[in-house]
Amino acid sequence: MITYIVRRLFQLVIVLIGVTIITFVIMFAIPGDPARQLAGKNATPERIAAIRLQLGLDKPVPVQYFKFVGRLIHGDLGESYQLQRPVTQMIRENAPNTIQLALAAVLIELLGIPLGIYSALRQYTFWDTTLTTAALIIWGIPVFVLGLFMQWFFGLKLNLLPLIGAGDNVLWVIPANYNSFASLILPAVTLGLIEVAYISYMQRAAMLEVIRSDYIRTARAKGLSERKVVMKHAFKNAIIPVMTIAGIDLGALMGGAILTETVFARPGIGLMIYQAIGARDLPVVAGGVLFATLIYVFANLFVDLGYAWVDPRIRLEG
Amino acid sequence: MPDRDTSGKQATEDLTISTVSERDLIEDKLVGRKPLGLWADTWRRLKRNHLAVVGLCIVVVFLAIGMTEEIGNFTPNGYLAPYDPNATNYEISPRGLGSPPSWSHPFGADYLGRDVFSRTLVATRISMLVGVIAVAIALIIGLILGPISGYYGGWVDSVIMRTADVFFAFPYILFVLLIMTVLGPGLWNVFMAIGILSWATYARLNRGSVLSVKAMEYVEAARAQGASDLRIIFRHVLPNTMAPVYVAIAMGIGGAIVTEAALSFLGIGIQPPNASWGKMISDYLSYLAAGSWWMLTFPSVFLTVTVFGFISFGNGLRDATDPKLKE
Amino acid sequence: MGERLLTVDRLSTHFFTYAGVVKAVNGVSFTLDRKETLGIVGESGSGKTVAALSLMRLIPDPPGKVVEGSLMLGDRDLRTLRDEEMRQVRGNDIAMIFQDPMTSLNPVLKIGNQIAEAIMLHQDKGKREAWRLAAKLLDRVGIPDAEKRVNQYPFEFSGGMRQRAMIAMAISCNPDILIADEPTTALDVTIQAQIIDVIEEMQQAYESGVILITHDLGVIAEIADKVMVMYGGRTVEYGGIDEIFYNPHHPYTWGLLGSLPRLDEIEKTRLTPILGQPPDLISLPSGCPFVGRCLYERPECRDQWPELEIVGPEHGVHCWIPEAERREVRASLPHFQEYVR
Repeated sequence: MITYIVRRLFQLVIVLIGVTIITFVIMFAIPGDPARQLAGKNATPERIAAIRLQLGLDKPVPVQYFKFVGRLIHGDLGESYQLQRPVTQMIRENAPNTIQLALAAVLIELLGIPLGIYSALRQYTFWDTTLTTAALIIWGIPVFVLGLFMQWFFGLKLNLLPLIGAGDNVLWVIPANYNSFASLILPAVTLGLIEVAYISYMQRAAMLEVIRSDYIRTARAKGLSERKVVMKHAFKNAIIPVMTIAGIDLGALMGGAILTETVFARPGIGLMIYQAIGARDLPVVAGGVLFATLIYVFANLFVDLGYAWVDPRIRLEG
Repeated sequence: MPDRDTSGKQATEDLTISTVSERDLIEDKLVGRKPLGLWADTWRRLKRNHLAVVGLCIVVVFLAIGMTEEIGNFTPNGYLAPYDPNATNYEISPRGLGSPPSWSHPFGADYLGRDVFSRTLVATRISMLVGVIAVAIALIIGLILGPISGYYGGWVDSVIMRTADVFFAFPYILFVLLIMTVLGPGLWNVFMAIGILSWATYARLNRGSVLSVKAMEYVEAARAQGASDLRIIFRHVLPNTMAPVYVAIAMGIGGAIVTEAALSFLGIGIQPPNASWGKMISDYLSYLAAGSWWMLTFPSVFLTVTVFGFISFGNGLRDATDPKLKE
Repeated sequence: MGERLLTVDRLSTHFFTYAGVVKAVNGVSFTLDRKETLGIVGESGSGKTVAALSLMRLIPDPPGKVVEGSLMLGDRDLRTLRDEEMRQVRGNDIAMIFQDPMTSLNPVLKIGNQIAEAIMLHQDKGKREAWRLAAKLLDRVGIPDAEKRVNQYPFEFSGGMRQRAMIAMAISCNPDILIADEPTTALDVTIQAQIIDVIEEMQQAYESGVILITHDLGVIAEIADKVMVMYGGRTVEYGGIDEIFYNPHHPYTWGLLGSLPRLDEIEKTRLTPILGQPPDLISLPSGCPFVGRCLYERPECRDQWPELEIVGPEHGVHCWIPEAERREVRASLPHFQEYVR
């Protein structure tokens, strides 16, 4: 386990460095005049010059890079030229809503686990075929299309739930009142539904593969009841890959479910980025993406470590 | 799938979970059909998967629609479409809200009186184009770097794979968005952005296959005949390792189409006069509340169906080429 | 030998697939007594594993089905038992070990857990006692440091040790019958002999009957009391071990014996493999499945399955070649020159 952890952390460092390099290249090395890009569309020549000086854009590239990393370490992601606010502050404000959405969506998607298992055990029945086909179809629906449909159907037609916005939160992520909660439902269900489809499909696949393993045959040969065979022997093996997927999902969503937040006009990291795109507000976009990537990278790390813990081969041998 | 907010799926492409059932395995083992050669075998297995066959049909149909401009002129407009997609007709759009589906306009007309069916059809071409070209770019890069990485190993391998790790570390759609913000909207930028960011998947797949094939005897045989390293890679190793790559291509095209739709929806993809499904959805969004549902419904349906087709076919292809069935 | 434990009469198991009906086992009959070892020999696809799985009612349905036959365990027909009753039989009265011990053991459960669960299930013992027994069993099958090992995972065992653990698991509830399906095939040659020894030892200790399925005649020669030769889902010959080795009557058996390298050969004779391919189990001829590969076939062979012919004490064969002719042919085969009667 120790060997594994060390190797993994080493890889983490390399990846983080790589991420900063690529972000740096995209922000500063590709566009014609980075200073102009960062200063914004309507910046005055003085402003552009000021930015150039402030960020050291007149210096050689490697120096620029190190200054960039230096700023990152201090939590300085630049300033939105559109809103004239530090990006870090904007992220801090928008994060809770996004995290709330992410958690809700993942909770919903965990329903896919029993669905997938059930489907696998009842292979060839009508139920299984229906569920699997439905899962494939839903999985393929682009999330913003589904979001629009949900809005139209539940919001406009049935007038049940609010279409847009979000409410107040307590404890950072828990909805403070009904309105808050209600505005969470549609976006969470939209995201969750597509993920449930994916997870149930994957869980079914994993379960099918496990259930035809030799050790399952051995378990049956010992006279164990089918229930015991499934719950004790199969489940433990089949759920490992799926938990990995769910964990990665959580990480990805935390970084900003941009399409969903845009469709539902729900304040969050995603919406923040979207609004910045329109204004070509590069610092915000880059800052948001960097933040999301950081969370995603760490989520992957935790998932890998979790996997190492669960699999006795890695846990004991490293 | 890369469109979605949960863009971590690229990592899970490595999971070789297959949905082949126990019955399929037993049957294949017992029936003991002599392999008819890679493709006949795969086709036989694919045929049994009805969903995948449906997917394949969808893929073929849409690719065909997308290529009609190359194939030839069918109508006065030069498209398969009945109307000129850009021809406005204010009369059939009272109050600027378009008109619902009717006999003359099966998908209705948009707020400028343009025929939605024609527009949707023409947008097919752009979407297919993006899918195919973006994947082609990614594939070319991946097909070069992957085998090199796998064949040479050592520090070359480490460097390339670490770089791939870094590309995988970014949530896919945000990554694409970032590049598009810097490059600006436009068709070619979309090709480039999606293409360049997707190379890692193909590189990794190729490398994996190359690694497993590297040890095989015919590589030794070729080397014994004095073939140069490069020749060995491209003529001997590569053709036998392509199966997972074909699956990735199918899924990749689907993903690229959705990513482009998402980009256009967010306003940073295709620009007028080009139209894509995503752009249409975005353009017609505000008319939904006013009750004009048909404008964005049909592009949405086309988009969903196309993506579904690619995914199903990709899944079916993956199951059909599952090495666990190769006895 | 001891009392009769098992009587299998005309067992037939078919698989109903999209491509046709796969007749994996056709009309196979055999018996097993206490303390007796029956070796079932044949190549892959001969139906030996399917026959064993049919006995345990572990044939997946769909697509498989035992279509005919009676499987008498004592005075009960296993085919007619209810599911719960059959589960009582599995692991308890009949136990089975499989070919590849790495994949046949659950990688995420401790060895002790996997052994103890059978004990807890069939012998109504508590967890602590079951684990204690598990450790004792591991020791019994020759695994050193059993107390520690019982808490380990399968990947921490070597191949041979894993197979020993499987054996421990199988005998944990004192089964009357132990079925070993190719127990040594996945192991090193040096370990093979050890495993066979362990099986033999356990058989003596628990006075059980053993059905050993293998394609390796060398293993058969070591511990089998009687042999059943299978081909294409049918029994082509059966008999005591000496009879089969020194008085083989079926051309396929000749082929099997002839393809063995022998230590005592004075001249270096080439190994004679059996030419041809195993039969397609969907389109089996209604006669002898060995047609097309048999060098001595005659017209009747394809259309009619030969009746049982007794050719020695408890030794039967299914073949259309008249006995006298068989002896003649056999005498001329290089392999049998020296020792065949």
